[in-house]
Amino acid sequence: MNGLDLLAIGAWGLLLLKYWVTGQLAVLVHPNYFPLTVGAGLLLVGLTAWQGWVRWREPGQPQTVAGGQLLPRAWGRLLLLSTAVVGLVVAPRPFNSHLAWESGELLNMTRTLPQPFRPASRPEERSLVDWVRLLHAYPEPDAYQGQKAKVQGFVVHPPQSPANRFFIARFVVTCCAADAYPVGLPVVLTAGEAKTYPADTWLEIQGRMITGEIQGQRRLILQAEKITPIPPPANPYLY
Amino acid sequence: MAALQQGLTLFFSLLVEAMPFLVLGVLFSSILWLWVEPEQLLKRLPRHPLGGAVAGAVLGCLLPVCECGNVPVARRLLTQGIPASVAVGFLLGAPTINPVVIWSTWVAFRDQPLLVWGRVGLTLLVAVMVGWVFSVQKDLRPFLQPAVAQMLPLPRSQPLREPALAGVPTGNFLALAGGKTLPLETLGWHTSRLLSRRGRWQMVWVNVLSELRELTGVLILGTAVAAAIQVLTPREVILGLGQGPVTSVVAMLLLGVVVSICSTVDAFFALSFAGSFTTGALLAFLVFGPMVDLKGVSLLLTVFRPRAVLYLFLLAGLFTFVLTLAMNLYL
Repeated sequence: MNGLDLLAIGAWGLLLLKYWVTGQLAVLVHPNYFPLTVGAGLLLVGLTAWQGWVRWREPGQPQTVAGGQLLPRAWGRLLLLSTAVVGLVVAPRPFNSHLAWESGELLNMTRTLPQPFRPASRPEERSLVDWVRLLHAYPEPDAYQGQKAKVQGFVVHPPQSPANRFFIARFVVTCCAADAYPVGLPVVLTAGEAKTYPADTWLEIQGRMITGEIQGQRRLILQAEKITPIPPPANPYLY
Repeated sequence: MAALQQGLTLFFSLLVEAMPFLVLGVLFSSILWLWVEPEQLLKRLPRHPLGGAVAGAVLGCLLPVCECGNVPVARRLLTQGIPASVAVGFLLGAPTINPVVIWSTWVAFRDQPLLVWGRVGLTLLVAVMVGWVFSVQKDLRPFLQPAVAQMLPLPRSQPLREPALAGVPTGNFLALAGGKTLPLETLGWHTSRLLSRRGRWQMVWVNVLSELRELTGVLILGTAVAAAIQVLTPREVILGLGQGPVTSVVAMLLLGVVVSICSTVDAFFALSFAGSFTTGALLAFLVFGPMVDLKGVSLLLTVFRPRAVLYLFLLAGLFTFVLTLAMNLYL
């Protein structure tokens, strides 16, 4: 255990704490995991700082443990240190609209959204995921016709879609970004071109629900009345 | 560029999720090494391979760590001299048969108790059977990585506490009073008994750090592979394999290996497929996912040689496949 090892492990502790302090943790894992991650970060930083102090003050204390290892020591150290530096420098980005479309989930909606939910009685208070859950529970688009809606999400432009239509989407996460999958609703504009809103722009859309046919399926569509660009939220996911 | 960014996000999210559990596992392992006398541990474990495998699988109830955390613990248990059946039972069973995982599965599948009981029952069955198969190999050394094999105590017939005088082909010895010698590989517990309380805890912390350096390095490699595969072959390709009784099980087995999420939450992930996959397929994911996943393979390679890891996976995979397929066809 030399100074560089301590530095490498401490750097990982710092990385975990940096994700927490900057709020980037929300991009990576479900909030249920925050306490575990922060605990591990504090432990790593505390342990390496303390062991560094012990090394410096009392060089006589046991400092190495015998035993060969699968990975040469220098490698382990290098991997830890380099990934920690990459993590500290590069901010994790949430997934983009391209990925949302590629998954095919926006059109087919094969996932059942697991958590129990209580649909807000005022339709304009429902989030995007509430709407999609509701459609799962009672998949009859006409039942929601005329209801008011106000949802937030990012813009997805499917290829070969009419000039006045796009999707508004968000990712849903159950554990960490590795299992994220998109949910979304088609949006139709009353005036103007869909291309005025570039892909991945975050919007708040107010409007009314109508129904229509998309790729041979009767679908619930949000007819936009008011579109406001919003800054990307710190926590891009819904749960 | 976008793929690289997606890959990085996946990579760090898997690592951030796995880190706390790895730290926990390494802590358990280090405390086990320096504070628990191997003989005490061995005395409490059943001698019969079948009983040992059951004991190993149920041990997860005492050490609730998921698949990244239990590798360091299993490795430590092996070097303390527990039989193969217990270690393999623990490796395969413990990530699922522990209170946290059973509870989260129950929360996710409250309306399908069959899945909850099926998950626990099948995991126990598969872990015990594979553990039993491995117990046929009396001396595990050829299966283990040389570094681990070196730390293994001598075969059980020789008393651990007595200095072994002859018959040890290699290694270093400590000379004791009266011309006796003590092989270095049996140290661990014996040397630590000579230390003060404070010295022992200092050894624990040093060991935590050195195991962390090794295992985190390995975990980083495994996670990189898992993230790369997820970016290059999207999940949809796997899911597209089919919805039939056979193909759906295969698809979910593959998905469990590729997605590499922690066993404490994979029930919720599986739940999102409940509408479109057969019950047997969901169960295959829930049983096999915690046993084998891409980021865990690299960790397992710190214990076993590649060929033994392959046997372990093939056996566990086949058992899971046959059992869940039978469920699809006959239930």
